[in-house]
Amino acid sequence: MALILTVLLPLCVGGWLVAGGRHLQRSAVGLVSLVTSVVTAAVAIWGVIARSSFDRAWLPDLGSRLHLRVDGLSAPLVLLTVGIGILVAVHGLTHVPEGGRPSTFAGSLLVVEGGALGVFLAGDALLFFIAFEIVLVPMWALIGRFGDPHNEAARKDAAARFALFTIGGSTLMLLGIILLIVRTGTADLTLLPAAVAHLPHGTQLLAATLLTVGLAVKVPVWPVHTWLPPAHTTAPTAGSVVLAAILLKMGTYGLLRLPVLTVSNGFHSIAPVVAVCGVIGIIWGGLVCLVEQDLKRLIAYSSVAHMGFVALALSTGTAAGFRAAAYGNVAHGVVAAMLFFIVGGLKERWGNADLATARAALRETWPRFGFALILGLAASLGLPGLAGFWGEFLSVYAAWSSGTTLLRWCAVIAAIGTALAAAYALRVARLVWVGDAVPVERVAAAGRDADRSEMFVLAVLGVVTVLLGIIPAPLLTVTGDALRALGVGS
Amino acid sequence: MKALLWVAILAPALASPLCLALARRGRMPAALVAVGSGVIALGASVVALLHGPVAAGADATVGTMPPLDAGLRIPLRLDGSGPVLVVLGAVTLVSLCVQLYATSYLRTDDRYPVFAGTVGLFTAAMILVVTSSDLILTLVGWEVMGWCSYLLIGHWSRKESARRASQKAFLVTRFADIGFVLGVVLLATGARSTAYGDVLSHWGAPGVNGTLRAAAVILLILGVLGKSAQIPFQDWLPDAMEGPTPASALIHAATMVAAGTFVLARLSPLLGESTAARAVLGISVSSTMILSGVLAFGQSDIKRLLAYSTVSQVAIMLSPLAAAGVAGSGPASFHLYAHAFFKALLFLGIGWLGLVGGGTAATALRGTARKSALVQVSFGFGLLALAGLPFVVGGLSKEHVVGVAFDAAREGDWVAIVVLVALLVTVVLTAAYSTRAWLVVMAPDSGRHGPENEQVVALEPATTGDDHHAPPSGVDPAVAVTLVLLLIGTVFGGLVLLTKLLDVNGAIDWALTGVTVVLIIIGALAAWLLSSGWSVDPAVRLVGPRMPLFDRGLGVDGLYLAVVAVPVLALAKLVRTVDDHVVDATALTGARSIDWLGRRGDDIHRPERPATGLVWVLAAAVLIGALGVLTWH
Repeated sequence: MALILTVLLPLCVGGWLVAGGRHLQRSAVGLVSLVTSVVTAAVAIWGVIARSSFDRAWLPDLGSRLHLRVDGLSAPLVLLTVGIGILVAVHGLTHVPEGGRPSTFAGSLLVVEGGALGVFLAGDALLFFIAFEIVLVPMWALIGRFGDPHNEAARKDAAARFALFTIGGSTLMLLGIILLIVRTGTADLTLLPAAVAHLPHGTQLLAATLLTVGLAVKVPVWPVHTWLPPAHTTAPTAGSVVLAAILLKMGTYGLLRLPVLTVSNGFHSIAPVVAVCGVIGIIWGGLVCLVEQDLKRLIAYSSVAHMGFVALALSTGTAAGFRAAAYGNVAHGVVAAMLFFIVGGLKERWGNADLATARAALRETWPRFGFALILGLAASLGLPGLAGFWGEFLSVYAAWSSGTTLLRWCAVIAAIGTALAAAYALRVARLVWVGDAVPVERVAAAGRDADRSEMFVLAVLGVVTVLLGIIPAPLLTVTGDALRALGVGS
Repeated sequence: MKALLWVAILAPALASPLCLALARRGRMPAALVAVGSGVIALGASVVALLHGPVAAGADATVGTMPPLDAGLRIPLRLDGSGPVLVVLGAVTLVSLCVQLYATSYLRTDDRYPVFAGTVGLFTAAMILVVTSSDLILTLVGWEVMGWCSYLLIGHWSRKESARRASQKAFLVTRFADIGFVLGVVLLATGARSTAYGDVLSHWGAPGVNGTLRAAAVILLILGVLGKSAQIPFQDWLPDAMEGPTPASALIHAATMVAAGTFVLARLSPLLGESTAARAVLGISVSSTMILSGVLAFGQSDIKRLLAYSTVSQVAIMLSPLAAAGVAGSGPASFHLYAHAFFKALLFLGIGWLGLVGGGTAATALRGTARKSALVQVSFGFGLLALAGLPFVVGGLSKEHVVGVAFDAAREGDWVAIVVLVALLVTVVLTAAYSTRAWLVVMAPDSGRHGPENEQVVALEPATTGDDHHAPPSGVDPAVAVTLVLLLIGTVFGGLVLLTKLLDVNGAIDWALTGVTVVLIIIGALAAWLLSSGWSVDPAVRLVGPRMPLFDRGLGVDGLYLAVVAVPVLALAKLVRTVDDHVVDATALTGARSIDWLGRRGDDIHRPERPATGLVWVLAAAVLIGALGVLTWH
């Protein structure tokens, strides 16, 4: 019961805010969304701890049930989602972008949260797809209506791109899901792997390809990543955060859950392609970050690189790889959320995020943002002791230890990608963080440093980044147990 | 033992966030925390030394990670063996001295608490590398140290030169670390464990794939060459002089650059098995120690002279490993330990001299050591140890290094012969530049304004400007304490050999010592003769107008740019163009064509625009579709 509440609460409150909350004041909207996200988080934590599940007959003809459940693979992402939900709500107390009513903005964020929770909790392929699609429209509204107020054309372009790419991907995924349901007669994710194993290899290959390509758009894996930078650049701060920390995770989680674990034989045949695309993404994203002039676009491209590590880890098909992917997923969620909160805050103050414009150094004028930025950059370049390290190191290990020549080369190239990450992280630090001394009177004129809600958000994310870095065992154990329960690894 | 190692790591590590948190309350609380944590760490390592080492195999476990796959164990163990405790003692002592010294040296710096915190984290990372008995823990400490070096070198980030130097340091070392990471991955994959013991027993067993082992060790060596500033990565370290002097002392003396020596010493059995790996290391360190010895002599800035001397000394530290594998690990660790004392002493000494002289250029420093007897004595002993005179700690350790290389060379090993020749040449060079440094700082006052000095001033203005302008009137108590502590270490540190904690492979060969002493006298005498009796800086006479080339390290920086930075940026621009005009455009073609079809369809449905040929296309499509449906079996 807890799980259905977890999904429905944000969906219903969010839907009500969008549809019926128009008369609400900004402060009331903020309070409603904060309370909703906190209660959702409490219920979700209860559901995760109790390992509760929810299972009702739904569409018997399709073998589809209204089935929600939580395991070690989804639990970290559920917690990440509800956590980000609270942070976004706190941030929304003081930061509501222009472009529409505050209620629409907060409602859209809650619907996205509810949809994402549905994705992570779904125990049924059809339910997974529906939840996946719920997220689309509110996200489109967040980008298209509440995005960068300075550039309407870019906003429309970004929102349209987001919608087109994602719908295109979802359509392929739906075809894959329908293929599986029709051939096996069930949509239950726990029953599917065994049922799929009896299908002819051609069918498995087709299903795996459709699912992988469809989900790869959402991740995004190179070369279907070009929707992400414009979406991130124009989206409002909270939208960017949700996009990076939650939406992309739906893609990687879906990849792990559907093609990799459910159609494993079919996926095994296309895994080399995924590995190569992942590695190209690592280098590609890293290189673009060396010359990109817009800070938000730069962080978006760094996400492409980080997701490349996750794709590489998944393609190894080993338990070590899946753990690396799961860790990298959560770590990127936390670190990217932090970076987008910072960069979004900077863009609100600067008016744009152009790196070519000379500005007073953050370290001199806004030390809070400065400290958070340098911590986020360190985590982003995979510094040990911070969240990003384990996922990336274990990806390289998993790729090398899987033994095939192709994957070994991928491991080497991925390791080179970590040096590129250092190069772009330091490039940002040198352009934004450090600089000449600033006279006291100009410090005051530069505007205000992070406010209280931003400080809260950044402090929480900073602490989680450090904890994930120095105490990796719990998350690795949880995912390892779940994988063992699914018969992967020892 | 386990608890003591924990304390030694955690005390400085926790000091780091604490210093940051206390930053707003002024300097005093941060200084107390920083120095206090240093004292605790030193205390823990002294108690550990008194307890004596743990027998091999009874490592202290820090924590255990769950098994990651059908086999990879990441036990995260710490080690309490003899060499570990000795090096730990040196690291914690130097770190405490640096913290103490910084309270005085950075007393006008508004970011002192941040500096103290970073030094704490840096120390913790180094202690982790030293005590680690697990490849993953080593990698963690290794990388965190690199990051802290970025922060410390760039501490005075209001200066463009410091910003560039810190970025360069991190990028060069991180680039080399690609090798380190891959080496760790290779070794762990084979052994299915990251514990040193498992790795050594797996890869040391007969019948293991020798090529893969050599590849793994060479990859690790690449990472070590980067962090230790050996050819081809040597150029970042002299630039790192942009950092505050206490940071330089820490980076050079006891941590980062020396860390690789200890890691390789721990893994030396693998090195011994692979001649290819020893050859890579041997060629790099042999050429590095000579080249940096020459460059050190010709620097216009004495702090940069010390930087190049570090490069050369770290090459000496690594050389026994290249020459003799396992047998070299004792002398390598001993030289690391010895270097920690005398290099910290020299850096902290020159920091004070720089304050007196208003900069660290040779011209500014002339005669400054005459201002304080304590600095004079300690700087002098530091230089004696650097030059490697017998009985001072640096001399003892260098004799062991030369001895072990000589033994290996006698057996006809070509790598050892190369290393031995390089070592003997380096002895002369080291003696020469040490003497030069002494001649500069002890020059009579009358020599301060000679014409040749003005020439050097014009060539290279003081590169390491400090935030302080008033020269100190005397040696501050904090500085005096650190100098005395390090002086004691430098003079009596060699007594550690009596404890048998370090296995340095036998006693000193007195004949060989005689040879090196003669070589030292030759080098020193040459420098002295060039100075014409205190009146001229020997480097000015010998190097003269070529000094700017020496200062630029023969222009290797430009080489880095041309070989790595420029091509990578060009590739990045290309990739960005392709991303915009090919990848994105292809993806959008689908959307555009659907858009186009939609508009055409729209056109058809408008009565004012009569249907065109498109109708026929559509009709044909419908017909084909219908045929397909009808003929479907």
